[in-house]
Amino acid sequence: MTLAAALAALAAAPIDAGRVKSLVFPEARLEEIRALGPAVLPVLASLYERSGESDRAGIASVFYALGWPSPDAKRVLLRDLHTPDENLRLQAQWAIGRVSADPDVMDALLDTMRNDGNPLFRDKAACALAHDQIHLSEPQKLRLFERLIDALGDPKEQVRDIALKALVIHTGQSKGFSPSGSDAERDAAIKEWRRWLERYRSAM
Amino acid sequence: MARALSLGNVALVLLAAALAAVPQARLEAASASSTLVRYSFDDQELATGPDTFSVFEKAKGRVHLSTAFRYSGYRAVEIRDVADDGNFPELQGYFPLRESGILYAHFAFMMADPLEQLNIALAGPAWFTFKKGGVAFWLQTRGGSLYHYSDSIPMRLAPLRPFTWYLVDLAYDVGAGTYDLAIREEGRSETLVSLKAQPNAFNEPGSGVDKFSFIGDNGHDTSNVDYYVDDILLTVDQPIPIAPFVAPGRRKLFFDTWNDLRLQVSAMPSCVPALGLDDFGFSSEDLGGLKRDGLLPALESMLAGRPASLPAGGSPGLAQALRAIGSWQAGCAALARGEPLTALDRFASAGRDGQGAAIYESSSALALAALGRWDEADLRLAGVQAAWRDDPRLPLVLALIGVLRGDPAAADQALRPRAESVAQDPGMECAFVALARRIDPELVRMIQGRFPDDWRSCLHAALLPEEYFNVLLLRTSYREAGRYASRMAARLRGMSLPAGDWIERQGDAAFLAGDYREALGLWKASAGGGRPDVALMLKLSDAHHLLGDLTKERAYREAIYGSLHEEQDHTPQEDPREEKTREAQD
Repeated sequence: MTLAAALAALAAAPIDAGRVKSLVFPEARLEEIRALGPAVLPVLASLYERSGESDRAGIASVFYALGWPSPDAKRVLLRDLHTPDENLRLQAQWAIGRVSADPDVMDALLDTMRNDGNPLFRDKAACALAHDQIHLSEPQKLRLFERLIDALGDPKEQVRDIALKALVIHTGQSKGFSPSGSDAERDAAIKEWRRWLERYRSAM
Repeated sequence: MARALSLGNVALVLLAAALAAVPQARLEAASASSTLVRYSFDDQELATGPDTFSVFEKAKGRVHLSTAFRYSGYRAVEIRDVADDGNFPELQGYFPLRESGILYAHFAFMMADPLEQLNIALAGPAWFTFKKGGVAFWLQTRGGSLYHYSDSIPMRLAPLRPFTWYLVDLAYDVGAGTYDLAIREEGRSETLVSLKAQPNAFNEPGSGVDKFSFIGDNGHDTSNVDYYVDDILLTVDQPIPIAPFVAPGRRKLFFDTWNDLRLQVSAMPSCVPALGLDDFGFSSEDLGGLKRDGLLPALESMLAGRPASLPAGGSPGLAQALRAIGSWQAGCAALARGEPLTALDRFASAGRDGQGAAIYESSSALALAALGRWDEADLRLAGVQAAWRDDPRLPLVLALIGVLRGDPAAADQALRPRAESVAQDPGMECAFVALARRIDPELVRMIQGRFPDDWRSCLHAALLPEEYFNVLLLRTSYREAGRYASRMAARLRGMSLPAGDWIERQGDAAFLAGDYREALGLWKASAGGGRPDVALMLKLSDAHHLLGDLTKERAYREAIYGSLHEEQDHTPQEDPREEKTREAQD
């Protein structure tokens, strides 16, 4: 039996949790995990729930790499979006947008970006919003842009800065917004962004 | 599209960036033309290359000539993507950069299934990125309709029908960053799309263009698109000089492009390395102070060229000396970027904070030389010569300044005695130091420990030979350069150390001397039976071209740029470059 045939046979069979665990630890063997297909996702989610923080971070990075939508993965990752474990929290933040496009995922990341007490988590939430929302539909993208433009008016300069960075990554434009500009300069640029948003909305 | 910058294409991307970095070849021989690109894919020459196009057929995707469907003539190009295969096919074409005026683009395309995704783009030197110089024009299919990206907004243009040709006509005003777009559908008299003065993809006036791209999906590996492209025609409003082709797919030999880039790099000064902490004015007592004040991590970061923050408190003198290192590193980075004025400013700060250490003076001399301020450079150099009388870096600084001054004879004089003696040096440890390519204070301490009486000549082995070889080439002493490279290679071979780089340099010298057969033999030998790197493959293509072996010229070129052929001529291969390399080496 060739390796491909063996993997195909495995993919058709029920997925054994012990085998999945052996593919994730100590080093994730991504190609073999990917070959099991999306049916591996609930097994990974279950393994995640039964694991300690360090292992959960490893499984989150597997969710990230697979990039497949999964309600189970979303459910377990959502719980760790506010864990005190820094590494796990960052892995969960990065992975969650790659397993779900649900509004509560985006809202959780936006909330972290604007309101978390730790600037590192705020920054990394913005990174997740900029790079890892890979399943968004056009209306969901519009909603994301709307919220990011709102964040340009945040009282914290860092929040304005990271919101702008996320917008630039999505659109290639800054519309002349400077996070450290005067109130009047920032207001003018935000108005420009809102006009753009209306054009985006009407193009949909 | 963005995925065109994926890892597999990085070598080509870097090469293309290098090709774009040099002036267009032989403009004196160029004739003015308003036609930049014309492909009907019928009987014309369809050689891939840096001045025509590349074909990427990785994984399961294909880019083939097809007689099954065509808009005109008897062939078109078929682009077929396969979802979940980990890669994508692409037809990527190149034309002279347009940074002003009007560019007219015309092409025809037809899809088997409009529900699948395709992406078609015009982009500039920043490739398929979302910024100025990146994507300027972008068409995409989504859910059965055609969209264009304008002002970062995907705008629906029209629904598409399967197996129907669409004719696209674009007039892109580069300076204004806007375009007029007309699309006609086969069999319909009225125009399907007619738009005027649309902002370009990311609303960037002045976003230049020099390449086009036809691919499937742009990143999610979800497209099973099968589409056809025909009659690509790019013209400009004002004729521009366009050099003739000197070989298939290129208006300038790969070697000449590579050599021009080498000359540019060698004419760009860089800082000489620091050899010890005393370079920065630190004594052994200072080290104790640095440790006591918690400044050692900051020092390590700075020496490694990483940003570092200085903790509060501690000795102001030590903190000032550390700031000097940071300024010097920033100046070296600016010098390497070709910004000597910025560099000079940073070196001046370093000199003020670092109490005039010779390394800051030598760096300032190099920056002044790069600015052509010779009197000031000479003044600094005099100070460096006094401080570095026996320092192994002095000949290198003198040679670099000689090259910048356009006086390779002076550079030769500075380097020759020591560089020639390196070629005779049987010391294996010194050869290892040279192969390490990175000189830092720790390595220097190790050398000083092992060779307390002769550590300077050991550093010469690392610092001087390559620059000496370059200086010999600058002096057009190609035969002498070849002999030096040969001696260096023999020395390394004698120690069973890798000699490929020097054998390749020997080949470069032979090529410049006009001995293409000798160059070919040396270049092949330099790869040592392994797979040549991208630059070497292209040099081999040139040598075969000049020696009249068109089959091998093509094989090496197509190993990098791909080939456009009909489906029956396609040989399934995991990596087409491996196949082409074997074909050329046979």
